[in-house]
Amino acid sequence: MHDLTQEQLAEKMGISRQTVIAIESDKYLPSLGLAFRMAKLFKVKIEEIFTVEGGEDEN
Amino acid sequence: MERKRYKQLRAAVGVFVGAIVAVAVTRDSYLLAAAGVITGMVFMALVRSSVKIRVDEREALIKEKAAQLTYAIFAPTIGIGAFLLLMPSHSGLDVFSRGEFVYLESLGMILAYLALFLIALYAISYHFLSRKYGGGGDEE
Repeated sequence: MHDLTQEQLAEKMGISRQTVIAIESDKYLPSLGLAFRMAKLFKVKIEEIFTVEGGEDEN
Repeated sequence: MERKRYKQLRAAVGVFVGAIVAVAVTRDSYLLAAAGVITGMVFMALVRSSVKIRVDEREALIKEKAAQLTYAIFAPTIGIGAFLLLMPSHSGLDVFSRGEFVYLESLGMILAYLALFLIALYAISYHFLSRKYGGGGDEE
C-alpha cells in the first residue's frame, strides 16, 4: 500500500515483524489501538484494512 | 534492531550462565551456581532498564495464553497428585499405618500446600489485575 517492507511497518508501529506477518496471514487480530494506528499510517478507514467475520474475537 | 540485539544478548547470557552452572555442578559448588545465576539475572535487569524494549501485543497475548495453560494444567495436576499421595495414609490399611511410607504423606502435604499457594497467588493476582483494569467496581 505504501511500499513498506514488513520490517519497516513493524518499526513504525512499534511491533515485531512476526506480528506483521501474523496480521497479514489472518492469524492474529490486532488490538483496537494498533488497528487505529495502522489505519492512520495508511490514511484509510479502519474497516478498509480490518474486517471481523462472524463478530467473534478470533484470538 | 534494538530488539534483535537484546535477544542476541539474552541468548549469550543464557549460554554463559548455563556454562557456569555446568562447571559448578561438576565441581559440586552450589555457591558458584547461585552466583552465576544471580549475576546473569542482575546483568539482564540492567540491560533491560538501559535499553528500551518494545512490548509487542501479540507476544503479550502469547504469554497470557501460555500462563493460562500452565495454570490450567499445573494446578489440577499437583492437586490430584497431593490427593493421591495423602489418600493411602488415611485409608486405614495396615501396610500404610505401619509408617513405612511416611515420605509419601510428606510429599503429599508439600504438593497440597503448593497447590494451595498456587491457587491463592492466582486469586490475589486476579483480584489486583481486575482492580487495575477497572473491573472492581459495581457502578454501571
